[in-house]
Amino acid sequence: MSLTLSLDFQYTTSIEKLWSALTDSSKLAKWVMENDFKPVVGHRFQFRTQPFNGWNGIIEGEVLIVDAPNRLSYTWESGEKHTVTWTLQDLGDGKVNLHLEQTGIGNAQGLEGAKYGWTNWSGELEKVLEQ
Amino acid sequence: MSEDNHLRDVFDAIADPTRRRLIRLLAESEEMPLHELTAQFPMGRTAVSKHLTILKEAGLVLDRKVGRETRFRLNASPLREIQDWVAFYSKFWSTNMLRLNQLLEEEEE
Repeated sequence: MSLTLSLDFQYTTSIEKLWSALTDSSKLAKWVMENDFKPVVGHRFQFRTQPFNGWNGIIEGEVLIVDAPNRLSYTWESGEKHTVTWTLQDLGDGKVNLHLEQTGIGNAQGLEGAKYGWTNWSGELEKVLEQ
Repeated sequence: MSEDNHLRDVFDAIADPTRRRLIRLLAESEEMPLHELTAQFPMGRTAVSKHLTILKEAGLVLDRKVGRETRFRLNASPLREIQDWVAFYSKFWSTNMLRLNQLLEEEEE
């Protein structure tokens, strides 16, 4: 029993550039968080941000699939272990579709801490974007 | 956990496919008696009744006696909790995807 988040986004770029933005640590820092990510299967990494009320601001993960430049998957743990899978698809004409699937979102009880963190977190990010 | 006082977690209640189907059936009709619901499933009255009890405990189903039969109807409001939970994730990633777009645009320049 778990919930899956499934989202699609389209970008005007090349599949290689999008892959790089998803896998290069310094680029990930610009749109996700500070991290020590490496696109190497088995690599354990952390995404870190400022702690928010009751959430330590750390997301831990392990790289599961690296299939450049098509598919990338890793675990995503913050109070609960999820799996994030990115699928890139070249649509031609300089367009690339990016599909996100996040599985393992389980019952609310065990997730209350993470939920609180995420809420505050996305609020903070919005502020950053408005600057 | 949250502000509701249900005996059972709504996430737990919707975990089972039979219960999701029951929710769907009840969503499509105003009120249904047990025998009509049972007719939709390859299982007996008792089994369906047990699933309905779980849905009741989560606040998703209300029942009332009409003569000798019990009629069930949907109370969808606890599903809001699930929607809210998923929405947090959706919001987070949507925000980050906008930032990714900015990053990709910067690189073009």
